[in-house]
Amino acid sequence: MITVTSIGGIPYYILEFGDELVYFTPYTITLFLLALTFTVLVIISRPEKQVDIAFGGDAYRAKDISISEMRFRRFMAIACGLASMGAMVTGDIFNFTLFTAMVGITNVGIVAAVKSPHVQDAAYQYGLVALAATVPLFAGAAVYAAATGSLSMIELMNGTLPTVPLIAKAMLVIGVIGEGMAPFYAAKAEMFRAPGAPYVIMCSLSSLLIFLRVVEVVMLG
Amino acid sequence: MWGQYNVGLLIVMISGVIGFVALAIETDDLHRLLLLDLVEITTLGVIALLGTDLAEALVLPGLTVGIAELLALSQIYITKERLKERPVKGLNIEVIQMADAPMIISVFLVVYGLLLSGFTGGGVAGLGLVFYFMSRGYKENLNMLEMASGISWAIWIFAFFVFMFLPQYWFIALMGAAVGIVLKVTVKMSLVGTMWGDHRD
Amino acid sequence: MIRRISHFLCNYENIVPLFAGACAIIFLAGILMLPLSYQQNQLYPKTIDRNSTLDPYDRGGPPFTQVTIHAQYPENSPTAGLVTSYLTPFSFYLAQTTQHLGTTIVAHPGGIIDEILYNTRGLDTVVEPTILLIAFAIASFLYRKVG
Repeated sequence: MITVTSIGGIPYYILEFGDELVYFTPYTITLFLLALTFTVLVIISRPEKQVDIAFGGDAYRAKDISISEMRFRRFMAIACGLASMGAMVTGDIFNFTLFTAMVGITNVGIVAAVKSPHVQDAAYQYGLVALAATVPLFAGAAVYAAATGSLSMIELMNGTLPTVPLIAKAMLVIGVIGEGMAPFYAAKAEMFRAPGAPYVIMCSLSSLLIFLRVVEVVMLG
Repeated sequence: MWGQYNVGLLIVMISGVIGFVALAIETDDLHRLLLLDLVEITTLGVIALLGTDLAEALVLPGLTVGIAELLALSQIYITKERLKERPVKGLNIEVIQMADAPMIISVFLVVYGLLLSGFTGGGVAGLGLVFYFMSRGYKENLNMLEMASGISWAIWIFAFFVFMFLPQYWFIALMGAAVGIVLKVTVKMSLVGTMWGDHRD
Repeated sequence: MIRRISHFLCNYENIVPLFAGACAIIFLAGILMLPLSYQQNQLYPKTIDRNSTLDPYDRGGPPFTQVTIHAQYPENSPTAGLVTSYLTPFSFYLAQTTQHLGTTIVAHPGGIIDEILYNTRGLDTVVEPTILLIAFAIASFLYRKVG
Protein backbone atom coordinates (compact mmCIF):
# COMPACT_ATOMS: atom_id res chain seq x y z
CA MET A 1 0.00 0.00 0.00
CA ILE A 2 1.01 3.59 -0.38
CA THR A 3 3.03 4.97 2.52
CA VAL A 4 3.73 8.63 2.93
CA THR A 5 5.50 11.09 5.14
CA SER A 6 4.76 14.62 4.15
CA ILE A 7 4.71 18.16 5.41
CA GLY A 8 0.93 18.12 5.38
CA GLY A 9 0.76 15.10 7.69
CA ILE A 10 -0.13 11.49 6.99
CA PRO A 11 -3.26 11.09 4.84
CA TYR A 12 -6.26 9.77 6.78
CA TYR A 13 -7.99 8.67 3.67
CA ILE A 14 -7.11 8.34 -0.01
CA LEU A 15 -9.92 8.33 -2.53
CA GLU A 16 -8.92 6.78 -5.84
CA PHE A 17 -10.11 8.04 -9.22
CA GLY A 18 -7.93 6.02 -11.55
CA ASP A 19 -4.61 7.80 -11.84
CA GLU A 20 -5.77 10.72 -9.82
CA LEU A 21 -5.90 10.35 -6.08
CA VAL A 22 -7.79 12.61 -3.75
CA TYR A 23 -6.21 12.62 -0.34
CA PHE A 24 -7.09 14.07 3.05
CA THR A 25 -4.20 15.00 5.30
CA PRO A 26 -4.66 17.12 8.45
CA TYR A 27 -3.60 20.13 6.37
CA THR A 28 -5.79 19.58 3.34
CA ILE A 29 -8.80 18.52 5.39
CA THR A 30 -8.66 21.77 7.35
CA LEU A 31 -8.64 23.82 4.17
CA PHE A 32 -11.36 21.61 2.69
CA LEU A 33 -13.65 22.13 5.67
CA LEU A 34 -13.05 25.88 5.51
CA ALA A 35 -14.07 25.96 1.84
CA LEU A 36 -17.08 23.74 2.61
CA THR A 37 -18.25 26.00 5.44
CA PHE A 38 -18.11 29.09 3.28
CA THR A 39 -19.90 27.38 0.41
CA VAL A 40 -22.72 26.39 2.76
CA LEU A 41 -22.80 29.97 4.08
CA VAL A 42 -23.12 31.29 0.54
CA ILE A 43 -25.98 28.89 -0.17
CA ILE A 44 -28.03 29.79 2.91
CA SER A 45 -27.24 33.48 3.42
CA ARG A 46 -29.23 36.33 1.98
CA PRO A 47 -27.37 38.93 -0.07
CA GLU A 48 -26.73 42.27 1.56
CA LYS A 49 -28.32 45.41 0.26
CA GLN A 50 -26.11 48.42 -0.23
CA VAL A 51 -27.47 51.75 0.91
CA ASP A 52 -26.29 55.07 -0.44
CA ILE A 53 -26.46 57.88 2.05
CA ALA A 54 -26.42 61.45 0.86
CA PHE A 55 -24.17 63.57 3.02
CA GLY A 56 -25.57 66.65 4.65
CA GLY A 57 -29.10 65.32 4.81
CA ASP A 58 -31.24 62.44 5.91
CA ALA A 59 -31.75 61.11 2.37
CA TYR A 60 -30.72 57.55 1.58
CA ARG A 61 -31.67 55.01 -1.04
CA ALA A 62 -31.08 51.29 -1.38
CA LYS A 63 -29.38 50.11 -4.55
CA ASP A 64 -31.56 47.96 -6.71
CA ILE A 65 -30.19 44.56 -7.60
CA SER A 66 -32.11 42.36 -9.96
CA ILE A 67 -32.99 38.84 -8.88
CA SER A 68 -31.39 37.27 -11.95
CA GLU A 69 -28.09 38.98 -11.18
CA MET A 70 -28.16 37.75 -7.58
CA ARG A 71 -29.01 34.24 -8.69
CA PHE A 72 -26.19 34.23 -11.20
CA ARG A 73 -23.67 35.48 -8.70
CA ARG A 74 -24.78 32.92 -6.16
CA PHE A 75 -24.34 30.18 -8.77
CA MET A 76 -20.82 31.48 -9.51
CA ALA A 77 -19.99 31.67 -5.79
CA ILE A 78 -21.13 28.08 -5.25
CA ALA A 79 -19.12 26.91 -8.26
CA CYS A 80 -16.16 28.81 -6.87
CA GLY A 81 -16.60 27.06 -3.52
CA LEU A 82 -16.74 23.65 -5.19
CA ALA A 83 -13.65 24.46 -7.25
CA SER A 84 -11.72 25.51 -4.14
CA MET A 85 -12.81 22.34 -2.35
CA GLY A 86 -11.51 20.31 -5.27
CA ALA A 87 -8.24 22.22 -5.37
CA MET A 88 -7.75 21.62 -1.65
CA VAL A 89 -7.90 17.85 -1.71
CA THR A 90 -6.73 16.81 -5.18
CA GLY A 91 -3.58 14.73 -5.33
CA ASP A 92 -2.56 15.43 -8.89
CA ILE A 93 -0.56 18.40 -10.15
CA PHE A 94 -2.45 18.87 -13.41
CA ASN A 95 -5.80 18.41 -11.74
CA PHE A 96 -4.79 21.04 -9.21
CA THR A 97 -3.98 23.51 -11.98
CA LEU A 98 -7.36 22.86 -13.61
CA PHE A 99 -9.23 23.48 -10.36
CA THR A 100 -7.18 26.65 -9.88
CA ALA A 101 -8.11 27.85 -13.36
CA MET A 102 -11.74 27.20 -12.48
CA VAL A 103 -11.41 29.29 -9.31
CA GLY A 104 -10.00 32.07 -11.48
CA ILE A 105 -12.83 32.09 -13.99
CA THR A 106 -15.57 31.88 -11.34
CA ASN A 107 -13.98 34.86 -9.57
CA VAL A 108 -14.15 36.81 -12.81
CA GLY A 109 -17.77 35.71 -13.20
CA ILE A 110 -18.74 36.90 -9.72
CA VAL A 111 -17.39 40.36 -10.49
CA ALA A 112 -18.45 40.59 -14.13
CA ALA A 113 -22.14 40.11 -13.31
CA VAL A 114 -22.32 43.62 -11.82
CA LYS A 115 -23.80 46.18 -14.17
CA SER A 116 -21.64 49.20 -13.39
CA PRO A 117 -19.19 49.95 -16.23
CA HIS A 118 -16.42 50.64 -13.73
CA VAL A 119 -16.74 47.15 -12.25
CA GLN A 120 -16.97 45.63 -15.73
CA ASP A 121 -13.70 47.27 -16.62
CA ALA A 122 -12.05 45.86 -13.51
CA ALA A 123 -13.51 42.42 -14.27
CA TYR A 124 -12.03 42.53 -17.73
CA GLN A 125 -8.57 43.33 -16.40
CA TYR A 126 -8.80 40.50 -13.85
CA GLY A 127 -9.99 38.21 -16.58
CA LEU A 128 -6.92 39.04 -18.64
CA VAL A 129 -4.68 38.25 -15.68
CA ALA A 130 -6.54 34.98 -15.01
CA LEU A 131 -6.16 33.95 -18.64
CA ALA A 132 -2.48 34.89 -18.68
CA ALA A 133 -1.96 32.90 -15.48
CA THR A 134 -3.06 29.65 -17.13
CA VAL A 135 0.12 29.83 -19.23
CA PRO A 136 2.67 29.40 -16.41
CA LEU A 137 0.23 27.11 -14.53
CA PHE A 138 -0.06 24.46 -17.22
CA ALA A 139 3.53 24.94 -18.35
CA GLY A 140 4.67 24.36 -14.77
CA ALA A 141 2.62 21.17 -14.52
CA ALA A 142 4.09 19.95 -17.83
CA VAL A 143 7.64 20.57 -16.61
CA TYR A 144 6.76 18.64 -13.42
CA ALA A 145 5.71 15.68 -15.56
CA ALA A 146 8.78 15.90 -17.80
CA ALA A 147 11.27 16.09 -14.94
CA THR A 148 9.77 13.46 -12.65
CA GLY A 149 7.77 11.28 -15.02
CA SER A 150 4.77 11.54 -12.75
CA LEU A 151 2.02 13.98 -11.86
CA SER A 152 0.91 12.32 -8.64
CA MET A 153 1.60 14.25 -5.44
CA ILE A 154 1.68 11.01 -3.46
CA GLU A 155 4.61 9.82 -5.57
CA LEU A 156 6.33 13.17 -5.07
CA MET A 157 5.94 12.80 -1.31
CA ASN A 158 7.64 9.43 -1.31
CA GLY A 159 10.86 11.08 -2.41
CA THR A 160 11.83 8.34 -4.84
CA LEU A 161 11.43 10.58 -7.87
CA PRO A 162 14.06 12.99 -9.21
CA THR A 163 13.93 16.48 -7.76
CA VAL A 164 11.58 18.94 -9.35
CA PRO A 165 13.31 21.85 -11.10
CA LEU A 166 12.96 25.16 -9.31
CA ILE A 167 11.53 26.77 -12.43
CA ALA A 168 8.53 24.43 -12.45
CA LYS A 169 7.71 25.44 -8.88
CA ALA A 170 8.15 29.12 -9.70
CA MET A 171 5.78 28.79 -12.66
CA LEU A 172 3.20 27.01 -10.55
CA VAL A 173 3.36 29.70 -7.87
CA ILE A 174 3.11 32.65 -10.26
CA GLY A 175 0.22 30.93 -12.00
CA VAL A 176 -1.66 30.55 -8.73
CA ILE A 177 -0.90 34.19 -7.87
CA GLY A 178 -2.41 35.25 -11.16
CA GLU A 179 -5.50 33.08 -10.78
CA GLY A 180 -6.08 34.07 -7.19
CA MET A 181 -4.91 37.64 -7.66
CA ALA A 182 -3.60 37.26 -4.14
CA PRO A 183 -1.14 40.18 -4.00
CA PHE A 184 -3.61 42.54 -5.59
CA TYR A 185 -5.76 43.07 -2.54
CA ALA A 186 -5.21 46.77 -2.89
CA ALA A 187 -6.73 46.66 -6.33
CA LYS A 188 -9.43 44.33 -5.12
CA ALA A 189 -10.97 47.24 -3.27
CA GLU A 190 -12.57 47.98 -6.62
CA MET A 191 -14.38 44.68 -6.39
CA PHE A 192 -15.66 45.24 -2.91
CA ARG A 193 -17.50 48.28 -4.14
CA ALA A 194 -19.65 45.82 -6.04
CA PRO A 195 -22.76 44.97 -4.02
CA GLY A 196 -23.52 41.51 -2.69
CA ALA A 197 -21.46 40.72 0.37
CA PRO A 198 -21.30 36.93 0.68
CA TYR A 199 -20.25 36.51 -2.92
CA VAL A 200 -17.30 38.85 -3.09
CA ILE A 201 -15.98 37.33 0.11
CA MET A 202 -15.87 34.02 -1.76
CA CYS A 203 -13.39 35.62 -4.21
CA SER A 204 -10.97 36.51 -1.47
CA LEU A 205 -11.37 33.28 0.44
CA SER A 206 -10.85 31.05 -2.58
CA SER A 207 -7.70 32.90 -3.62
CA LEU A 208 -6.36 32.65 -0.09
CA LEU A 209 -7.11 28.91 -0.01
CA ILE A 210 -5.46 28.08 -3.32
CA PHE A 211 -2.44 30.08 -2.23
CA LEU A 212 -2.20 28.09 1.01
CA ARG A 213 -2.47 24.86 -0.95
CA VAL A 214 0.20 25.73 -3.51
CA VAL A 215 2.65 26.30 -0.67
CA GLU A 216 2.15 22.66 0.31
CA VAL A 217 2.38 21.49 -3.29
CA VAL A 218 5.70 23.17 -4.06
CA MET A 219 7.25 21.80 -0.87
CA LEU A 220 6.47 18.21 -1.81
CA GLY A 221 8.97 17.33 -4.50
CA MET B 1 22.55 17.07 -21.73
CA TRP B 2 20.90 19.26 -24.39
CA GLY B 3 18.49 16.73 -25.86
CA GLN B 4 15.60 17.49 -28.17
CA TYR B 5 13.46 18.28 -25.15
CA ASN B 6 15.64 21.17 -24.04
CA VAL B 7 16.10 22.63 -27.51
CA GLY B 8 12.33 22.64 -27.92
CA LEU B 9 11.89 24.11 -24.46
CA LEU B 10 14.37 26.89 -25.30
CA ILE B 11 12.42 27.90 -28.40
CA VAL B 12 9.06 27.78 -26.63
CA MET B 13 10.38 29.77 -23.66
CA ILE B 14 11.82 32.45 -25.96
CA SER B 15 8.48 32.80 -27.72
CA GLY B 16 6.82 32.95 -24.30
CA VAL B 17 9.11 35.79 -23.24
CA ILE B 18 8.38 37.68 -26.47
CA GLY B 19 4.64 37.19 -25.99
CA PHE B 20 4.65 38.34 -22.38
CA VAL B 21 6.83 41.39 -23.08
CA ALA B 22 4.45 42.37 -25.87
CA LEU B 23 1.55 41.93 -23.46
CA ALA B 24 3.30 44.09 -20.87
CA ILE B 25 3.82 47.05 -23.18
CA GLU B 26 0.50 46.85 -25.03
CA THR B 27 -2.12 49.30 -23.75
CA ASP B 28 -5.12 48.65 -26.00
CA ASP B 29 -7.60 46.26 -24.37
CA LEU B 30 -8.57 44.40 -27.51
CA HIS B 31 -4.96 43.92 -28.56
CA ARG B 32 -4.20 42.53 -25.12
CA LEU B 33 -6.87 39.89 -25.61
CA LEU B 34 -5.45 38.92 -29.00
CA LEU B 35 -1.90 38.77 -27.64
CA LEU B 36 -3.09 36.55 -24.80
CA ASP B 37 -4.48 34.12 -27.33
CA LEU B 38 -1.01 34.06 -28.87
CA VAL B 39 0.72 33.48 -25.54
CA GLU B 40 -1.63 30.55 -24.85
CA ILE B 41 0.14 28.68 -27.65
CA THR B 42 3.27 28.66 -25.47
CA THR B 43 1.44 26.51 -22.92
CA LEU B 44 0.42 23.99 -25.51
CA GLY B 45 4.03 23.91 -26.72
CA VAL B 46 5.43 23.14 -23.28
CA ILE B 47 2.84 20.40 -22.72
CA ALA B 48 3.38 18.87 -26.17
CA LEU B 49 7.14 18.70 -25.57
CA LEU B 50 6.46 15.86 -23.13
CA GLY B 51 6.12 13.75 -26.25
CA THR B 52 3.99 11.00 -24.71
CA ASP B 53 0.37 10.01 -25.11
CA LEU B 54 -0.19 11.73 -21.80
CA ALA B 55 0.89 15.03 -23.39
CA GLU B 56 -1.69 14.59 -26.10
CA ALA B 57 -4.35 14.02 -23.49
CA LEU B 58 -3.24 17.06 -21.46
CA VAL B 59 -3.25 19.41 -24.47
CA LEU B 60 -7.03 19.03 -24.81
CA PRO B 61 -7.98 20.37 -21.36
CA GLY B 62 -5.35 23.10 -21.73
CA LEU B 63 -6.80 24.17 -25.06
CA THR B 64 -10.39 24.04 -23.83
CA VAL B 65 -9.67 26.15 -20.76
CA GLY B 66 -8.00 28.79 -22.95
CA ILE B 67 -10.91 28.88 -25.40
CA ALA B 68 -13.49 28.98 -22.61
CA GLU B 69 -11.85 31.92 -20.87
CA LEU B 70 -11.41 33.71 -24.19
CA LEU B 71 -15.15 33.30 -24.85
CA ALA B 72 -16.10 34.79 -21.49
CA LEU B 73 -13.58 37.62 -21.80
CA SER B 74 -14.65 38.66 -25.27
CA GLN B 75 -18.25 38.88 -24.07
CA ILE B 76 -17.14 41.02 -21.12
CA TYR B 77 -15.24 43.20 -23.58
CA ILE B 78 -18.33 43.65 -25.77
CA THR B 79 -20.40 44.53 -22.73
CA LYS B 80 -17.91 46.96 -21.30
CA GLU B 81 -17.29 48.74 -24.60
CA ARG B 82 -21.05 48.79 -25.38
CA LEU B 83 -20.54 47.41 -28.86
CA LYS B 84 -24.22 46.48 -29.07
CA GLU B 85 -25.13 49.48 -31.18
CA ARG B 86 -23.60 47.87 -34.24
CA PRO B 87 -25.45 44.59 -34.74
CA VAL B 88 -24.29 42.06 -37.26
CA LYS B 89 -27.11 40.50 -39.24
CA GLY B 90 -25.82 37.14 -40.40
CA LEU B 91 -23.95 36.72 -43.63
CA ASN B 92 -25.49 39.13 -46.14
CA ILE B 93 -24.70 37.08 -49.19
CA GLU B 94 -27.69 36.51 -51.43
CA VAL B 95 -26.67 33.08 -52.64
CA ILE B 96 -26.16 31.76 -49.13
CA GLN B 97 -29.43 33.16 -47.81
CA MET B 98 -31.63 31.96 -50.60
CA ALA B 99 -30.29 28.67 -51.87
CA ASP B 100 -30.34 25.24 -50.28
CA ALA B 101 -26.55 25.06 -50.13
CA PRO B 102 -26.13 26.02 -46.43
CA MET B 103 -28.71 23.42 -45.50
CA ILE B 104 -26.92 20.67 -47.42
CA ILE B 105 -23.46 21.63 -46.15
CA SER B 106 -24.73 21.85 -42.57
CA VAL B 107 -26.46 18.49 -42.71
CA PHE B 108 -23.31 16.94 -44.14
CA LEU B 109 -21.13 18.45 -41.42
CA VAL B 110 -23.51 17.43 -38.63
CA VAL B 111 -23.78 13.84 -39.85
CA TYR B 112 -20.03 13.57 -40.29
CA GLY B 113 -19.48 15.08 -36.84
CA LEU B 114 -21.86 12.60 -35.22
CA LEU B 115 -19.98 9.76 -36.93
CA LEU B 116 -16.67 11.04 -35.58
CA SER B 117 -18.02 11.64 -32.03
CA GLY B 118 -15.87 12.91 -29.21
CA PHE B 119 -14.31 16.38 -29.14
CA THR B 120 -13.46 16.55 -32.83
CA GLY B 121 -16.89 15.35 -33.86
CA GLY B 122 -18.51 17.94 -31.63
CA GLY B 123 -16.40 20.61 -33.26
CA VAL B 124 -17.34 19.54 -36.77
CA ALA B 125 -21.06 19.17 -36.03
CA GLY B 126 -21.05 22.49 -34.16
CA LEU B 127 -19.42 24.18 -37.11
CA GLY B 128 -22.22 22.91 -39.34
CA LEU B 129 -24.88 24.35 -37.03
CA VAL B 130 -22.98 27.65 -36.67
CA PHE B 131 -22.86 27.97 -40.43
CA TYR B 132 -26.57 27.26 -40.72
CA PHE B 133 -27.58 29.77 -38.05
CA MET B 134 -25.26 32.39 -39.47
CA SER B 135 -26.68 32.13 -42.95
CA ARG B 136 -30.31 32.00 -41.88
CA GLY B 137 -30.50 34.42 -38.97
CA TYR B 138 -31.75 32.26 -36.12
CA LYS B 139 -34.64 33.67 -34.10
CA GLU B 140 -35.90 30.99 -31.76
CA ASN B 141 -35.39 30.74 -28.06
CA LEU B 142 -32.29 29.03 -26.81
CA ASN B 143 -33.90 27.10 -23.97
CA MET B 144 -33.89 23.79 -25.77
CA LEU B 145 -30.26 24.04 -26.75
CA GLU B 146 -29.30 24.94 -23.20
CA MET B 147 -31.24 22.00 -21.85
CA ALA B 148 -29.41 19.71 -24.27
CA SER B 149 -26.14 21.14 -22.96
CA GLY B 150 -27.14 20.37 -19.39
CA ILE B 151 -28.24 16.84 -20.25
CA SER B 152 -24.98 16.11 -22.07
CA TRP B 153 -23.01 17.32 -19.06
CA ALA B 154 -25.01 14.97 -16.84
CA ILE B 155 -24.39 12.06 -19.26
CA TRP B 156 -20.67 12.71 -19.09
CA ILE B 157 -20.62 12.85 -15.28
CA PHE B 158 -22.61 9.60 -15.18
CA ALA B 159 -20.07 7.99 -17.53
CA PHE B 160 -17.25 9.16 -15.28
CA PHE B 161 -18.77 7.48 -12.24
CA VAL B 162 -19.35 4.26 -14.15
CA PHE B 163 -15.68 4.27 -15.15
CA MET B 164 -14.57 4.84 -11.58
CA PHE B 165 -16.87 2.60 -9.60
CA LEU B 166 -18.27 0.01 -12.02
CA PRO B 167 -15.30 -0.56 -14.32
CA GLN B 168 -16.75 -3.80 -15.68
CA TYR B 169 -19.35 -1.75 -17.58
CA TRP B 170 -16.63 0.25 -19.36
CA PHE B 171 -18.36 -0.03 -22.72
CA ILE B 172 -21.48 1.82 -21.58
CA ALA B 173 -19.29 4.46 -20.01
CA LEU B 174 -17.26 4.89 -23.19
CA MET B 175 -20.37 5.35 -25.29
CA GLY B 176 -21.91 7.67 -22.70
CA ALA B 177 -18.81 9.82 -22.61
CA ALA B 178 -18.53 9.98 -26.39
CA VAL B 179 -22.21 10.93 -26.83
CA GLY B 180 -22.12 13.38 -23.94
CA ILE B 181 -19.09 15.20 -25.23
CA VAL B 182 -20.26 15.32 -28.84
CA LEU B 183 -23.55 16.86 -27.67
CA LYS B 184 -21.85 19.29 -25.33
CA VAL B 185 -19.37 20.67 -27.85
CA THR B 186 -22.00 20.86 -30.61
CA VAL B 187 -24.44 22.75 -28.44
CA LYS B 188 -21.81 25.16 -27.14
CA MET B 189 -20.58 25.97 -30.62
CA SER B 190 -24.06 26.41 -32.08
CA LEU B 191 -24.99 28.72 -29.21
CA VAL B 192 -21.95 30.82 -30.05
CA GLY B 193 -23.25 30.92 -33.62
CA THR B 194 -26.58 32.33 -32.48
CA MET B 195 -25.02 34.85 -30.15
CA TRP B 196 -24.63 37.64 -32.62
CA GLY B 197 -27.05 39.94 -34.30
CA ASP B 198 -29.76 42.10 -32.75
CA HIS B 199 -32.13 39.32 -31.77
CA ARG B 200 -32.39 38.24 -28.17
CA ASP B 201 -35.07 37.10 -25.77
CA MET C 1 7.70 54.51 -1.25
CA ILE C 2 5.29 51.83 -0.07
CA ARG C 3 2.52 54.32 -0.53
CA ARG C 4 3.54 54.84 -4.11
CA ILE C 5 3.68 51.11 -4.80
CA SER C 6 0.27 50.57 -3.26
CA HIS C 7 -1.07 53.51 -5.23
CA PHE C 8 0.31 51.90 -8.40
CA LEU C 9 -1.38 48.61 -7.55
CA CYS C 10 -4.65 50.36 -6.80
CA ASN C 11 -5.08 51.25 -10.43
CA TYR C 12 -6.36 48.07 -12.01
CA GLU C 13 -5.15 49.24 -15.41
CA ASN C 14 -1.65 48.41 -14.24
CA ILE C 15 -2.07 44.82 -13.14
CA VAL C 16 -1.96 43.25 -16.58
CA PRO C 17 1.44 44.80 -17.52
CA LEU C 18 2.70 43.97 -14.03
CA PHE C 19 1.66 40.33 -14.23
CA ALA C 20 2.85 39.94 -17.82
CA GLY C 21 6.21 41.43 -16.82
CA ALA C 22 6.50 39.00 -13.92
CA CYS C 23 5.71 36.08 -16.23
CA ALA C 24 8.29 37.30 -18.74
CA ILE C 25 10.90 37.40 -15.97
CA ILE C 26 10.00 33.87 -14.85
CA PHE C 27 10.26 32.55 -18.41
CA LEU C 28 13.58 34.36 -18.84
CA ALA C 29 14.81 32.73 -15.64
CA GLY C 30 13.59 29.45 -17.10
CA ILE C 31 15.78 29.97 -20.15
CA LEU C 32 18.79 30.62 -17.94
CA MET C 33 18.06 27.44 -15.97
CA LEU C 34 18.10 25.23 -19.08
CA PRO C 35 18.87 22.45 -19.65
CA LEU C 36 16.30 20.70 -17.46
CA SER C 37 16.45 17.01 -16.81
CA TYR C 38 14.04 14.79 -18.72
CA GLN C 39 12.93 11.62 -16.98
CA GLN C 40 13.11 8.74 -19.46
CA ASN C 41 10.62 6.60 -17.56
CA GLN C 42 7.46 8.47 -18.58
CA LEU C 43 3.82 7.49 -18.13
CA TYR C 44 1.89 6.50 -21.25
CA PRO C 45 4.91 6.40 -23.57
CA LYS C 46 4.19 6.89 -27.23
CA THR C 47 5.03 4.16 -29.71
CA ILE C 48 4.52 4.54 -33.43
CA ASP C 49 4.18 1.62 -35.81
CA ARG C 50 4.45 3.03 -39.33
CA ASN C 51 3.12 -0.10 -41.02
CA SER C 52 -0.10 -0.25 -39.07
CA THR C 53 -3.31 0.87 -40.77
CA LEU C 54 -4.06 2.76 -37.60
CA ASP C 55 -0.83 4.76 -37.80
CA PRO C 56 -0.12 7.03 -35.97
CA TYR C 57 -2.71 5.95 -33.42
CA ASP C 58 -2.09 2.24 -33.33
CA ARG C 59 -3.59 0.97 -30.12
CA GLY C 60 -1.33 -2.03 -29.90
CA GLY C 61 -3.78 -4.90 -30.13
CA PRO C 62 -6.84 -6.32 -31.85
CA PRO C 63 -10.21 -4.96 -30.74
CA PHE C 64 -11.75 -6.28 -27.50
CA THR C 65 -8.44 -7.39 -26.05
CA GLN C 66 -6.89 -5.72 -23.06
CA VAL C 67 -3.70 -3.83 -23.86
CA THR C 68 -1.12 -3.11 -21.19
CA ILE C 69 -0.88 0.57 -20.43
CA HIS C 70 1.81 2.25 -18.40
CA ALA C 71 -0.52 4.08 -16.02
CA GLN C 72 0.42 5.59 -12.68
CA TYR C 73 -1.76 3.27 -10.61
CA PRO C 74 -2.82 0.33 -12.81
CA GLU C 75 -4.52 -1.33 -9.84
CA ASN C 76 -7.03 1.54 -9.68
CA SER C 77 -8.30 1.03 -13.22
CA PRO C 78 -8.74 -2.70 -13.72
CA THR C 79 -10.31 -2.31 -17.15
CA ALA C 80 -7.71 0.13 -18.53
CA GLY C 81 -6.63 -1.15 -21.93
CA LEU C 82 -10.04 -2.23 -23.16
CA VAL C 83 -11.04 1.25 -24.28
CA THR C 84 -7.64 1.67 -25.89
CA SER C 85 -8.12 -1.25 -28.25
CA TYR C 86 -11.80 -0.68 -28.96
CA LEU C 87 -12.86 0.17 -32.52
CA THR C 88 -16.39 1.08 -33.60
CA PRO C 89 -17.74 -1.16 -36.38
CA PHE C 90 -17.40 1.74 -38.83
CA SER C 91 -13.77 2.46 -37.97
CA PHE C 92 -13.02 -1.26 -37.91
CA TYR C 93 -14.25 -1.44 -41.49
CA LEU C 94 -12.19 1.63 -42.46
CA ALA C 95 -9.07 0.26 -40.80
CA GLN C 96 -9.34 -3.00 -42.73
CA THR C 97 -10.02 -1.46 -46.11
CA THR C 98 -7.89 1.69 -46.20
CA GLN C 99 -4.59 3.09 -45.00
CA HIS C 100 -6.13 6.41 -44.07
CA LEU C 101 -7.91 5.72 -40.81
CA GLY C 102 -4.97 7.06 -38.83
CA THR C 103 -5.91 10.63 -39.55
CA THR C 104 -9.40 10.31 -38.11
CA ILE C 105 -9.02 7.55 -35.56
CA VAL C 106 -8.37 9.91 -32.71
CA ALA C 107 -11.95 11.14 -33.01
CA HIS C 108 -13.70 7.78 -32.79
CA PRO C 109 -14.80 6.32 -29.48
CA GLY C 110 -11.95 4.21 -28.22
CA GLY C 111 -8.22 4.76 -28.37
CA ILE C 112 -5.49 5.72 -25.99
CA ILE C 113 -6.58 9.36 -25.77
CA ASP C 114 -10.10 8.34 -24.76
CA GLU C 115 -8.60 5.90 -22.28
CA ILE C 116 -6.63 8.64 -20.59
CA LEU C 117 -9.28 11.35 -20.85
CA TYR C 118 -12.28 9.27 -19.79
CA ASN C 119 -10.86 6.53 -17.66
CA THR C 120 -7.53 6.89 -15.92
CA ARG C 121 -7.50 10.68 -15.75
CA GLY C 122 -11.26 11.17 -15.84
CA LEU C 123 -11.26 13.76 -13.09
CA ASP C 124 -9.44 16.22 -15.37
CA THR C 125 -12.18 15.90 -17.93
CA VAL C 126 -14.82 16.47 -15.25
CA VAL C 127 -13.25 19.80 -14.33
CA GLU C 128 -12.67 20.86 -17.90
CA PRO C 129 -16.31 20.77 -19.19
CA THR C 130 -17.24 22.51 -15.96
CA ILE C 131 -14.86 25.37 -16.78
CA LEU C 132 -16.43 25.51 -20.24
CA LEU C 133 -19.89 25.58 -18.64
CA ILE C 134 -18.89 28.42 -16.28
CA ALA C 135 -17.33 30.47 -19.08
CA PHE C 136 -20.38 29.95 -21.20
CA ALA C 137 -22.71 30.88 -18.36
CA ILE C 138 -20.82 34.17 -17.93
CA ALA C 139 -20.96 34.94 -21.64
CA SER C 140 -24.66 34.12 -22.06
CA PHE C 141 -25.62 35.98 -18.87
CA LEU C 142 -23.89 39.14 -20.07
CA TYR C 143 -25.31 38.70 -23.55
CA ARG C 144 -28.87 38.59 -22.28
CA LYS C 145 -28.48 41.24 -19.62
CA VAL C 146 -27.38 43.95 -22.01
CA GLY C 147 -30.53 43.45 -24.05
